[in-house]
Amino acid sequence: MDVWHVTWFSLATAAGATAVALPIGVPLAWLLARARFTGRSLVETIVSLPLVMPPVATGLILLMLFGRRGPLGRALSWVGIDVVFTWKAVVIAMAVMGLPLLVRTARGGFEQVDRRLEQVAATLGAGPARVFLTISLPLAWPTVVAGAVLAFARALGEFGATIMIAGSIPGVTRTLAVAIYSYAETGQDRAAVALLAISTGLAFAALWGANRLAGGSRA
Amino acid sequence: MHVAAIVAAVLLAAGAGPGWQAPAPEPITVSAAVSLTDVLQEVAAAYAQNGGGTVRFNFGASNTLARQVVEGAPVDLFISADEAQMDVVAKAGLLDAASRADLLANRLAVVVSPEHRRAFTSLRDLLDPAFKRIAIGDPAAVPAGVYAKQYLERAGIWEQVQSRLVPSASVRAALAAVDAGSADAAVVYRTDTHAAKRAVVAWVAPIWEGPRIIYPAAIVKGRPAAAQARRFLDFLRTATATRIFEKYDFIPVESRPR
Repeated sequence: MDVWHVTWFSLATAAGATAVALPIGVPLAWLLARARFTGRSLVETIVSLPLVMPPVATGLILLMLFGRRGPLGRALSWVGIDVVFTWKAVVIAMAVMGLPLLVRTARGGFEQVDRRLEQVAATLGAGPARVFLTISLPLAWPTVVAGAVLAFARALGEFGATIMIAGSIPGVTRTLAVAIYSYAETGQDRAAVALLAISTGLAFAALWGANRLAGGSRA
Repeated sequence: MHVAAIVAAVLLAAGAGPGWQAPAPEPITVSAAVSLTDVLQEVAAAYAQNGGGTVRFNFGASNTLARQVVEGAPVDLFISADEAQMDVVAKAGLLDAASRADLLANRLAVVVSPEHRRAFTSLRDLLDPAFKRIAIGDPAAVPAGVYAKQYLERAGIWEQVQSRLVPSASVRAALAAVDAGSADAAVVYRTDTHAAKRAVVAWVAPIWEGPRIIYPAAIVKGRPAAAQARRFLDFLRTATATRIFEKYDFIPVESRPR
């Protein structure tokens, strides 16, 4: 199998997963940083669960939800969308695993935004959505990007949840992490080491970038 | 600005989609035990050469594969490394029961690190204290581990070696432990020994002595490509496929509908 094909597929699905996580994770991070509502700690805990749960367990939950007998899978197959064993399953697994990193990082950024600026905007008549878009988000921007990069990096390394819901189909759902595993399992050490080098390089670049962004916002 | 980034990423992801979709005609998806990776890919290449069509493989641990089928994953043919996992799918009522058959047999082997190179006269040679760490697949989850435990029990040495056993996440991990020098011996499938880097074969379980290791295959019920799956399953029993299986030391089993 083509090493570059696997690399490109992993980059594309990780980018897709980040794109899915952003519109969910960023408002959620802001709400957790600013809003007081009942069930707040519950939401916070649920979002963070994939960080500490075994990824295979998260994958099993996703498989049960999106399988053709699961509630979401059944609904989606009605409209002709199959998730399990497709690139969509890869994106979902990666998004779920990356979301906690995005939310936790972005939340820190929103908490550092001077609350008085938001209050001023509110007293001048801006609604919560406008305050978020014109004050909080622009000020917390570097941290949000850092969170997105972290989520992207986590998505690139995702293995356990991916192999449960997307399987390991060469050329269809096989990502860098899954390919490394199957090459190692079948004794193809050269291919495994080549992918290992690519994967380490990408993770290094992403983490370095995220640290610089997050550090820049504090300075 | 962030909207543009999201749109770009979504387009990127969407663009990735069709590129990975199957070329016509619709290929069948075969979920198969990871120990069959090399041999089945060679068989599938021969199948395609003989005008059979495209086969997509999903290789994994048999228990994961069974779970995926039970949850409704789109699999046409399932080839398990043991009967227990095939039974899991059968119990869920998802198999075309008439299609289920024993496809291949395998044997256990003991590999040792090069420092301990020797030819066993029986499995009891494992009791030699030189073998401080003996890697086997985790007997709680990995079929190869279940078989290894059965074999050690049958030889009457399970109790004695138990404290020296290192359960591994897969049979290949057990082999890798010996290759890497972190275990002195491992009980693996005979077919795995082809992938050994440093480990050497010390013992191959005789057919009459070792546990019965069977790879059953069955067609998953209610799939649109059942006819193509049937064709591939039939091809696995042709002389062409048999030659490839034997090259990898698998033992093709006579067709015995259950």
